[in-house]
This record gives sequence, C-alpha cells and structure tokens, in this order.
Amino acid sequence: MSAPENTPDDGVQRDDPMIAAEWALGLLEGEELLAARGKAVTDPDFAWRKDWWDNWFAPMTDAMPAAEPGAHVWEGIAARVTAQQGAAAAADASPDGLGVNVVALEARVRRWQWVAGLTSAAAAVALALFMFAPGRSPVEAPPAQIAAAAPMVATVPIGETGLRLDVTYIPESEKMLVAAIGLTADGVHDHELWLVPADGSDLQSLGVVAPGEVRAMTLPAAVTAKLGDGASLVLTREPIGGKPEGVDAGPVVAKGAFAPVSSAV
Amino acid sequence: MAARPRPSQDEAREALRDAMARLAAGDQAALEEIYRATRVKLFGICLRILGDRKEAEDALQDVYVNLWQRADRYDPSRASPIAWLAAFARNRAIDRLRTGKVRGGAVPVEEAAPLADETPLADVLMVDAEQAAQIHKCLGALDARTQGHIRAAFFDGKTYAQLAEAADVPLGTMKSWIRRGLQRLRACLEASEAA
Repeated sequence: MSAPENTPDDGVQRDDPMIAAEWALGLLEGEELLAARGKAVTDPDFAWRKDWWDNWFAPMTDAMPAAEPGAHVWEGIAARVTAQQGAAAAADASPDGLGVNVVALEARVRRWQWVAGLTSAAAAVALALFMFAPGRSPVEAPPAQIAAAAPMVATVPIGETGLRLDVTYIPESEKMLVAAIGLTADGVHDHELWLVPADGSDLQSLGVVAPGEVRAMTLPAAVTAKLGDGASLVLTREPIGGKPEGVDAGPVVAKGAFAPVSSAV
Repeated sequence: MAARPRPSQDEAREALRDAMARLAAGDQAALEEIYRATRVKLFGICLRILGDRKEAEDALQDVYVNLWQRADRYDPSRASPIAWLAAFARNRAIDRLRTGKVRGGAVPVEEAAPLADETPLADVLMVDAEQAAQIHKCLGALDARTQGHIRAAFFDGKTYAQLAEAADVPLGTMKSWIRRGLQRLRACLEASEAA
C-alpha cells in the first residue's frame, strides 16, 4: 500500500473531486484555476467538494508557526472597510448618470464574473445585461442574438494584490460592463480607465472606476470604433473625480487587453 | 484529570462562532473581534505561503476586508470558524502568490516567530483535534514521497511544475503521483466519515 508509484500513465481519473482537491491544495494555475472558479459558482456539488477538501486540509495549518502582524494592519483594514461603506453610501445617494448602479444584481454579476472566460460566458453576460436594462423592459434582442456576438473580455489585474477589474464589452451593443468588486476607495484617489486602441491612436477615457461596484455603461461610437481584438486598457491613478483637464494622466497602475471569448473553449 | 488546558477554550470557540454570525448579519464591530482572536494564526499562514512580511501583511488585510465582504459565505454546519478562516486565508495567500511577483517559499527562521509570550496562542487557534488526527493519519498512510509532495504544495504553495522540477521528474509524472495520492487521501477521509 505504501510503495511509491512510479508509472506516469496510470490512468488516475481526473474527476471533479480530484480537480477540487488540486484546487484546494493550490496546484491549479491560469486557465484551469479560472475554470475551477467558474465551475464552483454554477455547480454546487463541485463547490461543496472544494469546501470539503479545504476543511480537511485546514488542520495542517496548525503546523505553520503563528506570527504577530504589525499594528498598522488593523488600521488598514478598518480604513478600507470604512472607505467601502462611504463609497457604497455615496453611490446609493447620487447615481451619476454615467452608469447604472446594479448593486442589487451584484450577486448575479459576481456569478457572471467568475464564469467569464468560460464556455458559458457569452450566455452569462447576456443574462447580466438583460437583468439591468435600466428601468425599462428587458432588452428587445433575443438572447441568442446577443450571445452570438462573442463578448470581448479584459481582465486587468491590479499589481500583485490579487484584485482585478473585469471588463466585458459586447460588440454591436455599445454596452460595457466594468466590475470593480474587489477594489476599495482610499478617499484620496480615483482610478480612471482608458482604452488604448490597437491602431496606436490616442487614448480614450472610459471614465472613473467605481470601487466595489459593477457598472454598465453605454459607449459612444467614437470609442466602440476603436474597441476590437488587441485593444488594451490601462488604469491610472488620478485625483478624486478623474484626470483634470490640461494635465497629464496619472501613473498607470494596471493594464489588460481585450480578447474575444472563444465559443470553442 | 489534569488541569483543563485552557478553561476558556470552548467559550473562545463559541465567541468566535458568534462573532462570525454577527459579521454575516452586518455587524462591523464583529470584524475587530475576529481579527483580535485570529490574526496571529492567519498571519502565520500568509507569512508561510508568501515568505515575505510586507506581502503577508498586505495579504492579511485583504483576508479580513474580503471576510467582511463575504462573511455570509461561512456555513457553520460545514466547518469550525477557525478551520474555515485558516482555509480562507491560505487560499487568499495562494491567489496572491499565483498572480504576483512574490517569490514565495519558506520563511526565514528569524522572520517566522516574533510572538510575544503573552500572546493568546490558545487552543482556540487549533483546528479540531479529531479532524487533525484523521488527516494526519490518512496522509501518513501515503508513501513518503507522495506525502512529501502534497505537503510541499500545501505548506510552500508549490505548483506541479515547481514540484516536478525540484524532484527532477517529468511534469506528467508529478501530476500522476499527486493525483494518486489525492485519490487515496479522499478514500481514507471518506472512510473515516462513514465510520
């Protein structure tokens, strides 16, 4: 029973519980990791199994020596929590017309967020778009039609924080979703999103990002014309309110590129 | 009977469980209680995975901010609060390790243990003893090599590729070893649940 196994091709079945175990152990990377996360939001059995493994592995952390973090850590946590509450309250109080506040649908869109990049991304995004046609009856186009236009998805990782922006654009719809759920406001800066056209023409502002929220925006034709495969995005740090007129944009804090979600994945 | 190791162990666990419930209900004060009770354990986990104090502190902030946002995801019928929090912290640290430029790896000894003597490193920070005994038993039933690789993945956040390189075997071989180990581990753990 305890002899080492040497055969590489021994046909160990890589079923869902196995993938959940690899995920819990931290072995999954890149697309496999994204796929596992996506699966967990749509497949309760898989999510259950991931938790099962997490819970069984948890006692192993008892062997990791405890350590005292610096006192500033708690201050940072408290500040971020307070800032998020402030931002949420402000957003509730004054919808700014740029985008539609879809806090009520956050759970649904979070589900979309993880699914993005997977086979069902197109359908999930179409669903999300349907759900917040602002104060109107659902969008006229049948779902199949929207889903048929492969969405363009860009992931913009924020440094090494593990946080990211998820930006989805549905060609021919002029609609773009910017999900900044993991982001928090620091009360001093705003972050502005810019389109960097693939043809090398000037950057175009896509507006200030709303931390902790998912916003839908309608893009002007001048922007959508430049928004294709290979177009990239940069996020800059600006004073509150975004880049002032006549001043250079602030430092770039994150970048990402659009790519079509392949229906063949 | 020996003196009770920590008279307040059950109470402390109960207090943590209660704080988690209050946090899920939106009580922000509960977050500070949870932080006070669990920070040294969760920081130890982040430090071990990330191998850098600054990175680990940033990760720890993310852990608690994230916890505040998603406390409702904790299901008390599935896991003890400390087991769940430990897994939560390790998962966040691994995410950071995978997305960033962090080198990761083992923590230098001098960084690992600056714990004041009076720090309440209580039994409350230990995951349930029976559960611990069972996972160690099932892991111990694996051959030493497979066990070593699974431990390296867990404690050092190693990827398949890193493990294969360190062991100087093809990637496919390493995957196969670990998957076989995980298959046996699952069978052993499930057998213990059925018993």
